[in-house]
Amino acid sequence: MKTFHTLGSLLFGVAILLFFGLAYPHHLHYQEQFQLFLFDSAYVWDVIKLPGGVADLLGRFCTQFFLFAWVGALILALLFVAVQLLTARLASWGRLYGLCYIPAGLLWLFMLDENALLGGIWALLLSLLVAWGFDCLGEGRVRNILLVVVTPVLYWAVGPIGVVFLLLQAPRSYRLAWFYVALVIGILLPGVLSHYLPVRPESLWQGIHYHRYPGQLPGLLWLAAVSVPLLVFVARLLHRWANASSRLLVPILSFLLVAIGMGLLVKQNSNFKAEKTMQYDFMARHQQWNRILETIRVEKPNNQIGVTVQNLALAMRGQLVNNLTNYHQNGLLGLLPEVQRDATSPLPTAEAFYQLGMIYVAQRTVFEAQEAILDFQKSARCYKRLAQTNLITGSYPVARKYLLSLQKTLFYRDWANETLTLLGDEEAIAKHPEYGRLRKMAFADDFYFGDYITPDMLQSLYLSNPDNQLAYQYMLASFVLTGDRDRFVQFTSPDR
Amino acid sequence: MKKILYLLQALLLLSACTEAVNDARQEATQPQIYPDYLGVTIPANIAPLGFGMADEEASLVDAVIADSHGHALHSQSKEAVCFDVDDWHALLGQNRGDSLMVTVSAKYADGWHTYRPFALYVSPDSIDYGICYRLIEPGYEVWSKMGIYERDLSSFDERPLIENTQFEGCVNCHSFNRGNPTDMSLHIRGAHGATLLRRNGELTAYNTSTNQTLGLCVYPYWHPSGRYIAYSTNTTNQIFHSADRNRIEVFDAASDLQVYDVETNELLLTPCLKQDSVYETYPVFSADGRSLYFCAARALPEGSLQLDSIRYNLCRIDFDPATGTFGSRIDTIIYAEAQRQSVSFPRPSYDGRFLCYTLSDYGQFSIWHHEADLYLLDLNTGESRPMVEANSDDTDSFHNWSSNSRWLVFSSRRDDGLYTRPYFCHVDTDGRVSKAFMLPQQNPRRFYRDRFLSFNVPDFITGPTLFDSYTASRLINDSYRKDFGVRQ
Repeated sequence: MKTFHTLGSLLFGVAILLFFGLAYPHHLHYQEQFQLFLFDSAYVWDVIKLPGGVADLLGRFCTQFFLFAWVGALILALLFVAVQLLTARLASWGRLYGLCYIPAGLLWLFMLDENALLGGIWALLLSLLVAWGFDCLGEGRVRNILLVVVTPVLYWAVGPIGVVFLLLQAPRSYRLAWFYVALVIGILLPGVLSHYLPVRPESLWQGIHYHRYPGQLPGLLWLAAVSVPLLVFVARLLHRWANASSRLLVPILSFLLVAIGMGLLVKQNSNFKAEKTMQYDFMARHQQWNRILETIRVEKPNNQIGVTVQNLALAMRGQLVNNLTNYHQNGLLGLLPEVQRDATSPLPTAEAFYQLGMIYVAQRTVFEAQEAILDFQKSARCYKRLAQTNLITGSYPVARKYLLSLQKTLFYRDWANETLTLLGDEEAIAKHPEYGRLRKMAFADDFYFGDYITPDMLQSLYLSNPDNQLAYQYMLASFVLTGDRDRFVQFTSPDR
Repeated sequence: MKKILYLLQALLLLSACTEAVNDARQEATQPQIYPDYLGVTIPANIAPLGFGMADEEASLVDAVIADSHGHALHSQSKEAVCFDVDDWHALLGQNRGDSLMVTVSAKYADGWHTYRPFALYVSPDSIDYGICYRLIEPGYEVWSKMGIYERDLSSFDERPLIENTQFEGCVNCHSFNRGNPTDMSLHIRGAHGATLLRRNGELTAYNTSTNQTLGLCVYPYWHPSGRYIAYSTNTTNQIFHSADRNRIEVFDAASDLQVYDVETNELLLTPCLKQDSVYETYPVFSADGRSLYFCAARALPEGSLQLDSIRYNLCRIDFDPATGTFGSRIDTIIYAEAQRQSVSFPRPSYDGRFLCYTLSDYGQFSIWHHEADLYLLDLNTGESRPMVEANSDDTDSFHNWSSNSRWLVFSSRRDDGLYTRPYFCHVDTDGRVSKAFMLPQQNPRRFYRDRFLSFNVPDFITGPTLFDSYTASRLINDSYRKDFGVRQ
């Protein structure tokens, strides 16, 4: 039986690892780019000063590793298996063994949403850990007192998901008075805190930072959380029947049933369309132009982000004008889309602005995208780009501010250190293959811009520096897409 | 005996933490410190001025601050020296109207360097209890976390009044009646838009938009009686530069002025301040409450983007507080247009002596103009001059007077060209302006480096606001809004 249990957990872990590593890696990259984990006491305090802060901090710490999808997948696998193992320890499941995979399976479903945050997973895991720790305690006054003490502490550490711990204590052999005291504390705490904490009162009941959308109840997370005491209750209720036989057949069947059910649910709820879009954004972020060209040859993108990235990659390889009509377009908006007020769609557009040499435009676009992150976090990706744009425009004190912040990260530190040496060094910047080139490509004349780019702006950019081949291609493409034959001919005639 | 032992123990501990400044090279120059506090005039009740070496290369900084009576304070630190709050206040309190000398030593790779001492002048004029400001990223159109905060100027305590984590939207334009926090106006924008008014501690959420005005009330200013609030109403747009150090242009496509009568819940309108051909904005009452100063510019033709041709003059109209009526004549006080300049943010001192304003090349949102500087208009002589002692090479803009009219707080981007920080300067009764000093922090470099937020609209408060953010957020999240009435 033990081997089967180990094998089951192992299979579950491997399934998660493979799913997120192979089928869903860009969802992990997406998560990573919308946070900035700093090894800094002020940052830590800022996170843990609110209920749920400890779980949130652990979630953010783990999320920074999502920069490397396989590491992220491994972390998720370990967390989900830990939840499954802890659930398994809370009852004697016997024939109902498969049921102990349901909470972890629901967490898997929860994490299919790119805006689900890892803090919620940690909240449940920590609650189960404490519940398990209590199971190991002997009965008596110490346990009673601890119950009353741990309830508010756990609430502060993991947020309202901590109620799972309290629910798991319900059927235990406490003196009822102690349990009711803990229950009253657990119920009153959010109401009392709402008078003192600068958060929406309802978030103290549903969790401040389990999901990126501040007002949204993370239903799947709560279902996973509540399912633990519910399933444990069922297992205890059916204890005699469930453990009547030591044969493996029924436990295996229950495991398979749950595994197949969960597998189907995961498949049904996975958003592979979004994954593809995220892949385009990822490739643009890492300037994988050849890989983008290979990808669009297999399947032509037909959404805005995909088309923007496709056009950028074609232009970067000097193929935009000749191949424009071979791929889906969306008029000028496919070339350089109107800047939206969200955190996601402006980023690939900003990449195009940046590569074109429209540094102030790129700067604004990236800045706005970062400001639009719904849970008010900052973004390492955006900080990096803002450091670059400020460096290129010569705003060294501001670039330095971003770089000093990135110095406090795990994975951007080396880059920040390297880039810091460039600040103020005009010669080094001029020689730099990227920053030197982009400085030269900037607009010569200032003009006002709003949310969209016109062919005139691209023409002005090109005329500012006729060596800007990217601007040339975008300009010609804009003439084609707007049907401006005259100007297209004017700029392509041999005697121009 | 016990006390002496404790004292000795404490001294031992302290001496163990500090290093003696031995064999220091005596420098003929004054130290370059961050923030630059050399020769500044400070109020006796300001928080300790923490500072470090500007070059960040010193491994230790040591400072001794001494008065002429033999009292001295000592501090030594790796990054920034900062003095004990109580000792600091005691020393400054004993030296009102006098100066203190600060001797700075810094330890570099080649050993200690001791610099020529610099002076701090302790003004006999106190500063108000604190300042209130909005903290926000200096961005474009989208906002992230922000809030309104208050800071006790005699310590380092900062408290939020309200943050946008409590509702969906943004918060701006906090305003008090001469720093009195019991009278307060605050706008909420976004899905839960409202204007919160607090009178005698009671909060009400208003809808300030009426069918006879342009739209929502925007820039507020309280009448000294507390009965009226002057508001502008603006159709504001933003546009962005493609290749200019000034990133953003905020401009009005239309704007009018109106006065809100708090007692009758009515907006008082006059055709003089609602002209289609004129952009009127930034209304402020004179110290006696009998005039309304404001900025006015000729309106651009519809659809025109010749923003650099919009230039605001400083104007004035009579206001009768007894009847709530306006005069019929508009006087131009500063004809900035003639010098191809533009006036913004007029702020009369509460004693009626001066009017401080910002001058920039064009437009009214000078906070985004690097050339913006502060000017002081002497209301007795009508003479105006740049406040060169307080100004910098970068943006020096939004400002307010302390309740005793001797201190100004203003926003400056001088530190890094982007993030506005509060600076203070002293203005004496003759209009002499002191060198400006930055809002003190315990470790200013670390504090300002790590904070990616601008201090917006700093204004003095004469005491803690005691703002009930729970009730405020409940009102904001509720759909009920009390409508403004209109009296023509």
